[in-house]
Amino acid sequence: MRYVAERILFSILSLCVLLFITFVLSHVVAGDPAIVAAGPNAGADKIAAVRLEMGLDQPMLVQFWRYSAAVFQGDFGTSWFTRQPIADDLVRELPPSLELVFIAMLINLGVSLPLGLLTARYAGSRFDDLVRLLVLAGAGLPVFWLAIILQQVVAGDWQLLPTAGRLGFENREFIGATGFTLFDSLAQGRLDVFADALAHLVLPAFALSLLFTAVGVRITRTAMISEFRKDYVVLARAKGASEGRIMARHVFANGATPALTVFGMQFGWMLGATVLVEEIFGRPGIGRYAVKAVTQSDIHAVVAVVFVVGLVFLLANLVVDITLFLINPRRRVKA
Amino acid sequence: MSVFAKLWSYPKTNIERVALVLVLAIILVAIIGPFIAPFDPLKIAFRSKLQAPSLAHWLGTDGSGRDVLSRLLHGAQLTLSATMLVLVVVVAIGCAIGIFSAFIGGAIDNMLMRLTDIWLGFPPLILALGFASALGASLSAAIWALIFSWWPNYARLSRMVTSDILSQKFIASADALGVPTHRKVFHYVIPNALDVLVVQVALDVSAVMLAISGLSFIGVGAQIPAPEWGAMIADGRSYVANGWWIVLAPGLAIFLTAVSFNVVGDMLRRELDPTSRRR
Repeated sequence: MRYVAERILFSILSLCVLLFITFVLSHVVAGDPAIVAAGPNAGADKIAAVRLEMGLDQPMLVQFWRYSAAVFQGDFGTSWFTRQPIADDLVRELPPSLELVFIAMLINLGVSLPLGLLTARYAGSRFDDLVRLLVLAGAGLPVFWLAIILQQVVAGDWQLLPTAGRLGFENREFIGATGFTLFDSLAQGRLDVFADALAHLVLPAFALSLLFTAVGVRITRTAMISEFRKDYVVLARAKGASEGRIMARHVFANGATPALTVFGMQFGWMLGATVLVEEIFGRPGIGRYAVKAVTQSDIHAVVAVVFVVGLVFLLANLVVDITLFLINPRRRVKA
Repeated sequence: MSVFAKLWSYPKTNIERVALVLVLAIILVAIIGPFIAPFDPLKIAFRSKLQAPSLAHWLGTDGSGRDVLSRLLHGAQLTLSATMLVLVVVVAIGCAIGIFSAFIGGAIDNMLMRLTDIWLGFPPLILALGFASALGASLSAAIWALIFSWWPNYARLSRMVTSDILSQKFIASADALGVPTHRKVFHYVIPNALDVLVVQVALDVSAVMLAISGLSFIGVGAQIPAPEWGAMIADGRSYVANGWWIVLAPGLAIFLTAVSFNVVGDMLRRELDPTSRRR
């Protein structure tokens, strides 16, 4: 349990750093918050009044404390361009993004794990070379460019998938309880809506996943290749275990742990990368929200997105690490 | 042996040879691009807008009649010099912190490395987005933003390499001779760390370039009509249906540059980094 406690402590520490970074971004880098808040036409006395009102005359440490307290109460301030509390905006925009990241993650795992395992098994073969080439190509593709091309070719020219949006026109009235359309449509037994939502997710999720899949295959291959050299594989082969059994039962089970840690980190990075994809496909989500906030110079909304993405990143890592620790069979032997 | 002859002895496959030639060619284009560009990259000529690739305009013209090839050549300089600037500053800052940390050791070292661990984890793109928009969108804001989110990589790397070097025997003999610290840093640590740093920089070129063009695409980096490759894609987006070449050219440029640098980086790692002789 010591590991779990340490891991949680590290997450709390990371959260403090995240708070500090977002504080510096919104209070120091962005210029004097009082001038920003007072508006472009405010005189010196107005700015002074705002400064007093917002507590900006206090020492930095006090301001940081107040900022942290506000964030923990879910208060990110009011957005200039939606004219709503930023926290409300985020609650609305987060589910579609998480849905997108979830599907992209499924694609990523579905490709990375088997390809990583097989290239490790057949390292040095033609197949390994081919995959390495594909991985190199995938790692160099600009996500936003790929998204535009896919949208134009697959959705536009070939008409195979919807071009943009989250649901088709005929389903525009659909309202779910959670905001996760895939989940809501299933809960209501609306399979047509589910299929529609899924079709709208395919292209953006694929574009989003590609870069991460390229890394994922590499990481998985590296993790597995060292497992294949271990003594227990030799023993299993000597005992006459089939190659499939060795791969699935032995190598994969042992080698997956370090790879899964990386996939846990990728979850948060993917959520950050939605800024490159959502806008192109006209999907609602925090990525598009952030891009809009940027163009409106709505610094508090941008910083709120930075904070939330960072928070999701920390939580995802924590959950993955603790889960891997708890299900690790070696722990039973040691204890 | 000259640098080029030595470099040419590294590639083992045809892909690596092609990539190395491409990298050298891209660097050359980034230097002389603006001089060989046939047209002014910013000159608007609505009368000749959206022309398909032809003998006059090898890569066609964009939605405002600007020559795409000229923009691409100017963009090579803009995009690559921005990337290099980020990497140079990040290496300088990262190494200063990393080497300092390794020399001082103890609690401060521990604290600094914990901080880089945490910092490294956060999604770099979103961190840079926050920083750039706080500064106000511009190419220099994007450059600062990437420096802000990238330095921990090099702090970590240089700290690792430095403590590796510091544990070796020649440092112990240097200590016995009373060699001052600054001499140790500049004559023992940095020359020995150079290879590892070069490899990492080569591998990071693609990631930094993708991030810069991504930020420009979103609108927090280089502003349209600057011929930065990401901004060119953003600008050409509305013409995809009737001017595919406008988006295709800068995208392919980014893609080829990123892949070639990755291949060359991998190759350099195999040839220069003794810790990576695995296969």
